[in-house]
Amino acid sequence: MKEWQPKILAFLCNWCSYAGADLAGVSRIQYPPNIRVIRVPCSGRINPISIMKCLQNGFDGVLVSGCHPGDCHYITGNYYARRKFAVLKTLLEFIGIEPGRVQFSWVSAGEGEKFAEVIKKVTEDVKKLGPAKKLVKI
Amino acid sequence: MDIFKIEKSKLKQFLDDLSKKYSVFVPAKQDRVTSFKEITLNSQLSTLNSYNTDKPPKDIFFPQTETLFTYDENSQLSTLNSQLSKPIAIFGVRPCDAKSFTLLDKVFDSEKYTDTYWKERYKDALVFALGCNNPLSTCFCNWVGGGPFNKEGADISLIDIGEAFLAEPCSKKGEEVIHKLSLQKATEDDLKKGNQLKNEAESMLSKPVEISSLKEDLDALWNSPKWEEIARKCLNCAACTYLCPTCHCFDIQDEGKSSKGKRIRIWDSCMFKLFTQEAAGTNPRPTGKERMRQRIMHKFNYLVETIGEFGCVGCGRCIISCPVNLDVREVIKEIKKVRN
Amino acid sequence: MENIEKQLRETVKKLLKEKKVDLVIGYSKGTLPLHSTPVFITHEKDVDNLIFDATCGNNLAKYLGKSRKPKTKNRKPIGIIVKGCDGRSIVQHIVENQIKREEIIIIGVPCDGVIDTRKLEEKVGRKEVLKYQVEGEKIIVEGKDFKNSLKKKEILSDSCLMCKYPNPPVYDIFVGEPVPVNENRKPNTDNLESLSPDKRWEYFEKEISKCIRCYACRNACPLCYCEECFVDQSGPQWFGKSPDLSDTMIFHIVRTLHTAGRCVSCGACTRACPTGVNLAPLGIRMEKEIKDRFGYTAGLDTEATPPMADWNENDKQEFIM
Repeated sequence: MKEWQPKILAFLCNWCSYAGADLAGVSRIQYPPNIRVIRVPCSGRINPISIMKCLQNGFDGVLVSGCHPGDCHYITGNYYARRKFAVLKTLLEFIGIEPGRVQFSWVSAGEGEKFAEVIKKVTEDVKKLGPAKKLVKI
Repeated sequence: MDIFKIEKSKLKQFLDDLSKKYSVFVPAKQDRVTSFKEITLNSQLSTLNSYNTDKPPKDIFFPQTETLFTYDENSQLSTLNSQLSKPIAIFGVRPCDAKSFTLLDKVFDSEKYTDTYWKERYKDALVFALGCNNPLSTCFCNWVGGGPFNKEGADISLIDIGEAFLAEPCSKKGEEVIHKLSLQKATEDDLKKGNQLKNEAESMLSKPVEISSLKEDLDALWNSPKWEEIARKCLNCAACTYLCPTCHCFDIQDEGKSSKGKRIRIWDSCMFKLFTQEAAGTNPRPTGKERMRQRIMHKFNYLVETIGEFGCVGCGRCIISCPVNLDVREVIKEIKKVRN
Repeated sequence: MENIEKQLRETVKKLLKEKKVDLVIGYSKGTLPLHSTPVFITHEKDVDNLIFDATCGNNLAKYLGKSRKPKTKNRKPIGIIVKGCDGRSIVQHIVENQIKREEIIIIGVPCDGVIDTRKLEEKVGRKEVLKYQVEGEKIIVEGKDFKNSLKKKEILSDSCLMCKYPNPPVYDIFVGEPVPVNENRKPNTDNLESLSPDKRWEYFEKEISKCIRCYACRNACPLCYCEECFVDQSGPQWFGKSPDLSDTMIFHIVRTLHTAGRCVSCGACTRACPTGVNLAPLGIRMEKEIKDRFGYTAGLDTEATPPMADWNENDKQEFIM
């Protein structure tokens, strides 16, 4: 039987992380093919509802990645995002969702290497956790 | 008609026998909430002795979520969900709730419309209604034509006389069933005791408010500013409607992805703004006032017109569950006051 | 407490008489023992209906949200009777521009905690309480064939047992003596946090599976004043409306997120629930997180910036790769 492969949704901000992914691509850096990317204008645009919807629809993991603090194209978008994510992460863990399911990272346009590392780590973490069950709607 | 006796010591046996032919539902307590649950090997029957269940039994026949059909891309036909392996029997339902079944039946199985989902479950169901020896202060079945020992809606009416239940068949279905169960007949003494309990229980209820003209009262009140006052503290949650044994409004939703999914029917409530929200953005019941009016009108006016009875059985669940203690009895009194 | 009621009635009577307000929102006796009901007083003659005791569990700030706010004649302020938690909710309303400070006259009352009727039921069993009486730290409840003397502490709402703000932080008039503050109390969900994630999930799964989606929690919550809740949105519809566990769990998760940094842990949601879902730990956990992370406590300062609408360069980011 084929090994189970997790499905991970990655929300990447247009200005940094998406460009970082692009750099990883053009630099031919290898990373696991488990992510599906949705490009968003800014990590601050991510509504927790979107993340919940991913978990409900059967994604085994969700990654949100944006610009490093101070580098936001919209100056402060990722600062707001950071507060939102902190609270979301705490709550999900409190309710009993495994900590590795929803992850966050800052990846700049020049960090193709880091992007690949992040994806590797998220994929490994989610693989260890196994298929998502808790919030999935049958 | 003969009256029989079910010894409490043999109750478990009796229900086991019954569950060979029926899916038997009994009141059960789970995580602090009492509701009707299908009987299992470890079912505790102690909840029978306590007062009425927190949740009404309507969901046995009219579940909160009902799958109407499912579809998937591989099969051409969607399948209608039809699946009763055994008819349903409910043991220990209170007279108010037993009556609620007859009201719902008039809605879901009328000459004009038949709801097959409801009908399939209800038509062969056997209802054992247990008289209330100790009605609560929130019970007002006697306002709306009921009583703690009423038999309306019951196939077999039960009275708890201590060590046994008196069982009186009160429908053809009930009679057929009870004769097949080898039960002892009740003695004179038992019957006397039953009668005494009945009289005691009836005297425990508060004096009913005369509401025979409530429909006309409401007709005259449609445009009254009184509604605003009545609805003022209402939070517009659906605790009252979802815990009401006779509320039956529903919504239909499609759930699923393009390849696979289902159509479900779920409870809905007139207390919600979304209930009447129109696609174009307007809402004919924009504020709590209109929604509260709708609820009261539906129960005490519209249903009188369509099925000839009040849509309320006086179980008092809405009074107990209301987060702001908005008491429907007070609302009725207010309405009568305005009219007079 | 009787003394408080007397003073309260006099205060309200005076306000109405001097025409400082047209309307006072308070509590009156409910139709059930151990229940009070919100009351809107506009005439001096109705003032004697006002009560205040351990049954006054509703958070009256609910009635001040923009869409609910009663209209008063001549734009006079609205009088409102508030406990500590209600007072904090009002401060949040002011912070969030739901109401202006000058639009209300806050009549503060000291609060010893309110009764959670579910807890009471667990103590006395499934029996109907017909009468009750408070005697110091004890509550004597009576029914048809029983009489129990209970410690008040045993039947108070969980939120009240953790409450550090029994007196409203902001008020115009304070009736009675402020309750001494117990500084040792703080938001506490340790019993749950000591469990493994799976065990916690089990706990919440059990609780949330009781939910019937009546939205009593949301509608009793003073901070859930949105014109349209995300679960009511239908274009697009985000989540299903049935009591499916996933949909229901997500409703409670997102509602908790939406009230994070604003929730004052008054416990109104838990007390409103007709099926006894214990929602309080969610709010309490968030209150704790917001305090630890951003140093903010909701409902204390009318000039504050809400933490979720604010940021700081130095916010901790240990969880971000």
